[in-house]
Amino acid sequence: MRTAAMKRTGSRIFPHLEALRGRELDAGGFSHRPGGEYRADATAWAVMVLTATGTRKDLLEKARSRLAAGQKQDGRVCISSEHPEAYWPTPLAVLAWHGSPAHHEARSHAVKFLASTTGRHFVKDPEAPVKHDTSVKGWPWIENSHSMVEPTALSLIALRIAGIGETGRTREGTRMLMDRQLPQGGWNYGNTLVYGQELFPQPENTGLALSALAGSVVRQDVLRSLEYLESRIIRLRAPLSLGWGLLGLGAWGARPGKARSWVLESFKLQEKFGPYDTTLLSLLLLAFLAGGGLGSVLEGKGPAA
Amino acid sequence: MTLKRDTRERNGWTRREFLLGSAGWGIAASGSSLLLASCTKRDWRADTFIARVSTYEADIALVLRKGFRELGLEGGEIRGKRILLKPNLIEPHVGAGHINTHPNVVRGAAEAFLTLGASGVLVAEGPGHSRDSVLVLEESGLGDVLVEDHIPFLDLNYEPGYAVKNLGGRTRFSTLTLPAALAQVDWVVSLAKMKTHHWTGVTLSMKNLFGVMPGIYYGWPKNILHWEGIEQCIFDINATVKPHFAIVDGIVGMEGDGPIMGSPHHAGVVVLGRNLAAVDATGARIMGIDPTKVAHLVAASGRLGTIRESDILQRGEKVASVRTDFALVDKIHAQRGLRMR
Repeated sequence: MRTAAMKRTGSRIFPHLEALRGRELDAGGFSHRPGGEYRADATAWAVMVLTATGTRKDLLEKARSRLAAGQKQDGRVCISSEHPEAYWPTPLAVLAWHGSPAHHEARSHAVKFLASTTGRHFVKDPEAPVKHDTSVKGWPWIENSHSMVEPTALSLIALRIAGIGETGRTREGTRMLMDRQLPQGGWNYGNTLVYGQELFPQPENTGLALSALAGSVVRQDVLRSLEYLESRIIRLRAPLSLGWGLLGLGAWGARPGKARSWVLESFKLQEKFGPYDTTLLSLLLLAFLAGGGLGSVLEGKGPAA
Repeated sequence: MTLKRDTRERNGWTRREFLLGSAGWGIAASGSSLLLASCTKRDWRADTFIARVSTYEADIALVLRKGFRELGLEGGEIRGKRILLKPNLIEPHVGAGHINTHPNVVRGAAEAFLTLGASGVLVAEGPGHSRDSVLVLEESGLGDVLVEDHIPFLDLNYEPGYAVKNLGGRTRFSTLTLPAALAQVDWVVSLAKMKTHHWTGVTLSMKNLFGVMPGIYYGWPKNILHWEGIEQCIFDINATVKPHFAIVDGIVGMEGDGPIMGSPHHAGVVVLGRNLAAVDATGARIMGIDPTKVAHLVAASGRLGTIRESDILQRGEKVASVRTDFALVDKIHAQRGLRMR
């Protein structure tokens, strides 16, 4: 079925959207790979895309309900029921439930969980080999581990889209991301200098951090990171890096003019590397559709011209 | 069409299954990774093989096959087996090949095992610092090699896991969650890089197995393992996974502030063997590092293998003939006092 959004954007992404929809499971939700089992993260990503493209509401609600069925009592959404400590899909679920009155309660519950959760933090020894401020709280991938860049950025994006404005918690999360920004620009998973050596930036982390910081800090504060990503993205076709790179630049009004053709080139890489997983397919589709950052598609501002 | 036929003929894989896919081999676990380990102290003897290899343009498969013969690894033991090669791809960057196991070493190892009659070779890694599998394959240069040779790649970070009893017992983990692919292969081969390391002194074949732990359960980097103690985790992972073989790429290794920010060091060697502790002890000695001062090797000695020089039969080159001291950084605590006299 071609949606209105699809008609506007042409047929170039239609096969990829169909591939994504082919991963829908009878019991609701989506698999990580074709023929695979249900995964919360895959489901959340697929829901975001299908919302943006105006796919059938009943299908969307079924997927959202599957996500809600797996939600734990304290609001967290985990990668599997056997691993409650791996709660990193929670912000993704918040984004997937966005705009669904039927899942307002599930979303509120998840938002409360995020607002009251942090990683493992400590005041470091003055002689410690790591440079970043280990006491500033963000969010971790896994319970009882140190906060890292990507889960912190995703949590901030989710809380903002859920309408949580500037609170002490989001301000500290923003401060944490700024503290983890590399002096020469960009972010990696979450370390800046170790034993006095500045580590390498990575495009996926940089795109995600820039997505989360848009609207919270001034351009000058992230200028080097924008410059790093703008120069790096020209050669990037790897899906995770390109997808987050485009969304990160888009959030700052710096989406490259060739963004869409780069996304299509990335899709084409599947001929070489095999089918992308559901997260990658979804991220690329959102990066194709977005005019700005992730918020521009999730807030229903429509696809880019 | 030709590609599909070649793929099947060579490696038992179709193009569709090629990269970034679930292993899906659907074969019964050999049980080798699930066997109860006896981690009590006992006497060990081990053989390791050292080969001089001056360049990545050398016929590495030929070198490895010679090593296999010296170590008594023959076709009868490998024929029909599915082999998982686990390279070190922690954080590839273009122009920084000394960070990762070189693609030609991966290619050589795959060819060597296939020549011995392996029914399939799979390259699998869960990079600690990067979540983008395609970027990892492209920046490392490994992607083109694997495509050309029809060797599949699996990112272990995203693999569904299965819980097994932690057979090491050095951490508080009662179980470890391993990627499903490990239960679907017969042999696990640590295809490591010879590097210094700022947290553990050295990273060779034992530390390399950190990368089998899926990021979806352990995060990026696998920070929860750091909180449990890196050395203790190395022990537990090795005791539980029970890898079958190790090949260390020391053609160009890394010295100084490894595992990422150090400098290239041309050691011109490949080290291999069945016992990972012995292979790492030999690798460390080649680097001019005393393995009896490296905490995770000391912990392994007598329990998972041996690091004692007198218990290791060196085949091929002698350590003394290829020793080349890797630079150590005094301000890095884990590297202090490691130099072998």
